[in-house]
Amino acid sequence: MNEIQNLILIPIILPLTAGVLTLMVRERTKYLKEFIAISTTLVSLFSSLTALKYVNSIGDINYECDWLGSFSLMQFRVDQLSAFILLSVSLFSFLISIYSISVKNKGNSKIFYFLLLLTQFQAAGVAVSDNLISMLFFWESMVIVLYLYIYISASTNSTRTTALKAFLINGVSDLALLIGIMILGYISNTFVMSEISKSKLIVSGWATIAYILLLTGTLTKAGAFPFHTWIPDAALNSNAAFMAYIPASIDKLLGIYFLTRITVFLYTLNHTMQLIVMGVGAITIIVAVMMAFIQTDYKRLLSYHAISQTGYMILGVGTLNPIGIAGGLFHMVNNAIYKSCLFMTSGAVERQTDTNNLEKLGGLFSKMPITAICFIISAAAISGIPPLNGFFSKELVYKGSLLTGYTIFFIAAEIGSIFTLASFLKLGHTVFFDKPSSSIENVKEAPLSMLIPMIILCILCIIFGFGAHFPIRHFISPSLISLGYISEELSGFHTDNLFLVALSVILIALTNHIFGYQRTNRAYKASDHIHHAPILKDIYEMAEKGYFDLYEIFKKIFRTFANFLFKIDRVFDSIIDYIPSNSSYKISETFSSVHSGVYSLYMFFIFSFAIIFVIYLGGIKW
Amino acid sequence: MVVDFLSYSLIPLFSALAIPFIARKNKRLIELLSNVTLLSGLLNLSYILLSYLIKNNYETFTMDVYSFSMIFTIYLVGLSITFFSTHYGIENDTNPTSYYPLILIGVSAMSSIVIAQDIFTLYIFVEALSVVSFALITSDNSHTSIEASIKYFFLTFPASVLIIFGISILLLNHPNLDFSTIKDTSSKFLTIIALSMITVGFLIKSGIVPFHFWTPDVYQGAYSPISALLAGIITKIGGVYAIIKIGILISNSQLNYFISKILLLSGILSVLIGAFLAMIQKDFKRMLAYSSISQMGYIILAVATFTPLGIIAAVFHLINHATFKTVLFLNSACVEKQTGTTNILELKGLEHRMPTTAWTSIIAMMATAGIPPLSGFWSKLLIIVALWKNGNIYYAIIALIASIITLAYFMILQKKVFFGKLPEKFDGVKEAKFQLLIPVVVISGIIIFSGLFFDRVYSYLSRIV
Repeated sequence: MNEIQNLILIPIILPLTAGVLTLMVRERTKYLKEFIAISTTLVSLFSSLTALKYVNSIGDINYECDWLGSFSLMQFRVDQLSAFILLSVSLFSFLISIYSISVKNKGNSKIFYFLLLLTQFQAAGVAVSDNLISMLFFWESMVIVLYLYIYISASTNSTRTTALKAFLINGVSDLALLIGIMILGYISNTFVMSEISKSKLIVSGWATIAYILLLTGTLTKAGAFPFHTWIPDAALNSNAAFMAYIPASIDKLLGIYFLTRITVFLYTLNHTMQLIVMGVGAITIIVAVMMAFIQTDYKRLLSYHAISQTGYMILGVGTLNPIGIAGGLFHMVNNAIYKSCLFMTSGAVERQTDTNNLEKLGGLFSKMPITAICFIISAAAISGIPPLNGFFSKELVYKGSLLTGYTIFFIAAEIGSIFTLASFLKLGHTVFFDKPSSSIENVKEAPLSMLIPMIILCILCIIFGFGAHFPIRHFISPSLISLGYISEELSGFHTDNLFLVALSVILIALTNHIFGYQRTNRAYKASDHIHHAPILKDIYEMAEKGYFDLYEIFKKIFRTFANFLFKIDRVFDSIIDYIPSNSSYKISETFSSVHSGVYSLYMFFIFSFAIIFVIYLGGIKW
Repeated sequence: MVVDFLSYSLIPLFSALAIPFIARKNKRLIELLSNVTLLSGLLNLSYILLSYLIKNNYETFTMDVYSFSMIFTIYLVGLSITFFSTHYGIENDTNPTSYYPLILIGVSAMSSIVIAQDIFTLYIFVEALSVVSFALITSDNSHTSIEASIKYFFLTFPASVLIIFGISILLLNHPNLDFSTIKDTSSKFLTIIALSMITVGFLIKSGIVPFHFWTPDVYQGAYSPISALLAGIITKIGGVYAIIKIGILISNSQLNYFISKILLLSGILSVLIGAFLAMIQKDFKRMLAYSSISQMGYIILAVATFTPLGIIAAVFHLINHATFKTVLFLNSACVEKQTGTTNILELKGLEHRMPTTAWTSIIAMMATAGIPPLSGFWSKLLIIVALWKNGNIYYAIIALIASIITLAYFMILQKKVFFGKLPEKFDGVKEAKFQLLIPVVVISGIIIFSGLFFDRVYSYLSRIV
């Protein structure tokens, strides 16, 4: 293999070997594990950067390798979209490995860094895979990593339950992906994505079923409604490094990458399917942001927002025009940036104050100024405030959804924006500006290893915002070209109607927040007027109890089914146990009663049978 | 008589006659003489056998394979018993001056049985063997052994009666009682009656259903090393050997059909009744007796097919069963000596204290149950294949199912007696003396090796027919 192929193999193989190496390191070394992780991810980052430059200028990189005999080839093909995803994955691995040096509750750090490097290996593998089966191999193995991350972070019962929940939900999605890929491979006679895309599939018959299965699988992985329920639970039960890494960035990157592939690259969707995709996106936005608005736990609030932003990406990709798709992709990477940053701030606050509860936090601006500034920049970005990056990607999504002709999606997205801004106003006001509660006093700024990634991400927010043409020209447009779309002019400040709408969104959200604050005089209760509104109150109560949680519903169904099967098994068991042994014992006892030791009985038997035998053998002729 | 093997019959006889005169009071000399006699014979035989087995080339093997294998088995089991008795401490129970010569005469009689070429000679030595065994069973003068001996005599004299009647009837047709003339003229009516009486007589002697009633009482009641000899070789040579011989002779006469039916019926009944009854026994030796009945049933089933494969299977199973039962009975004697009881309900967890005894017993039990790669698996497989090929499909299936029951009761025995927690009253139990274990280990080794190298053994045995 030549040096060019090495570029895409390094982000895959190097983290795997480094991860295994980390496992062999002794637990007591202070910084060796972190050093291995940081250096490996840095090398992967440079390698993927070089690969992106190469792919954007020269052409695709291909690599093939025989694996499992002739059943499936490990085929890697890096076109512009894959290179872009690869770069993002490596970037986030690098940043999180720096960040997690100071995270205290990440569990056994040897295993944590092994899992981190393993995730980099798996995510890079997904990003570059051309063969659907090899992609599935990499993506499915992330399920175990997911389980372990949550499991090792604490040893309480709720942690284990959440880990199992995450594992099961992702495992079911893997099953859907597997069946979908099998059907897809069967109807197109090949598993290689670039070959399937040469003659795109039309949604009819088996292809519909395949698309629905793949859609289910990838949306679950990305964390959209209704498969999102493990993310808020994980936010409660695991650490901020994990949350910043997987649900915030990697899951979204890979999920939306595959969503783009199947929606645009492999299929030409018909109208109904497009409506379904956009509908799922819109519902996700609204439902998640309404749930997020009322939360009182820092990380849980952020996790609901992560789910909500996924809806924007799905909506963007589902519009099927280049502006919308560009918006979806750009939003994907933007979301990864500012969501990770937000989770990192939450981790910093958690580390310094030992609490996540909004009731107790307050007034941290003076004590943790850098964290606060990073929070403000990321919160502004996520709310879509110009000129940060969130504004540009959201504007692209709005334009794209308007171009489809259905304004309802546009309205849903705008409502989502309103509530996003409102909840971040509440959050920021509570944590950093309000009066502090008595339980947190000697709080210092977070350590440097936590601050550096946050600052890098905020700088990226600003760069991608002010210089929005830079990422669009280098990342998004090439991806669109690789998908087969010609890009138009996508960036820049347009003072048109959309800009006015954005301004009005900001004003409405501000009004709402001030209204809520004045009612209760405490910032964290600023959402109570929505929380306790007549119909919404009951819906919120039911949601908190888990009535809408698909996972809980299925758990109840399966429990009864399992009980029933157990009863049937008992029946078979008793038949097999009881009948043979008892019957043979009865036979034995019957026979043994004849062998009583009485000599005359024996003699009688011998004589009589001897006579019978001899007559039978000798003279049967009578 | 086959002159090649005459020495194997005469030398133990001479030793037996010499012992009362030379070594009346000198126990060491008696043991030495008897052991050396049998050992020399065994070494000679095993040298010849192993050289042929290793070379795997039987061009120069001019002896009768059947007789050769039988003599080898006789000497193997005989030597095991004498060696075992030497260290078992028989002088507390019996007089060595009479014990060892009786065993040697028994060995001599058995060797003569297998080298006999006409049926009357066979009968004479069978009777000699019976007389010797009556005496040996009562060696330790206990109530149970005297009762066992009396039962053995009274329940097997009908066999002698039948056999001598049969031979007399044969004389009407053949003044010369050679096996070869019987073979030629075996389709006449009187010959048929005679052969049937002889067959029934030998069936009684080997302990086949419905004549098996003496077997459990005799095996249980006899003196322990002698029950090993009895089960190991006497009932075989004195019973099933002749049936196999007749089977080789009358392969193509009209008697085939009836004898085959009777033998199949008796065989399958023995297999089933032996297996079912063995499951609920509470005494170690009695359970082994019922197991013997079951395995003899397998041999009779194989003979009943009257095909070459069946005969080979029967002979192989005979040799194998001799080894299994010797090991098991000798081990039960060890256990009885160390713990003082043979009651299965009391014995428990002996593997911790008597590991060699336990493991050799387990090897023998698994071989009887037919577990590969031990030799018992191969012989059972051959029997079932012979039955199947002959068309007796249902018998094959029942025999196969009965081997599950065999496995069951042996598993129960293994688990109850050897594994489990050792009760406190057996805390002081030690392993038997290592000399007592040598014969058992050697025979276990033979079981394992003839299982592993079965192809050599089969190419040797296939020369029987």
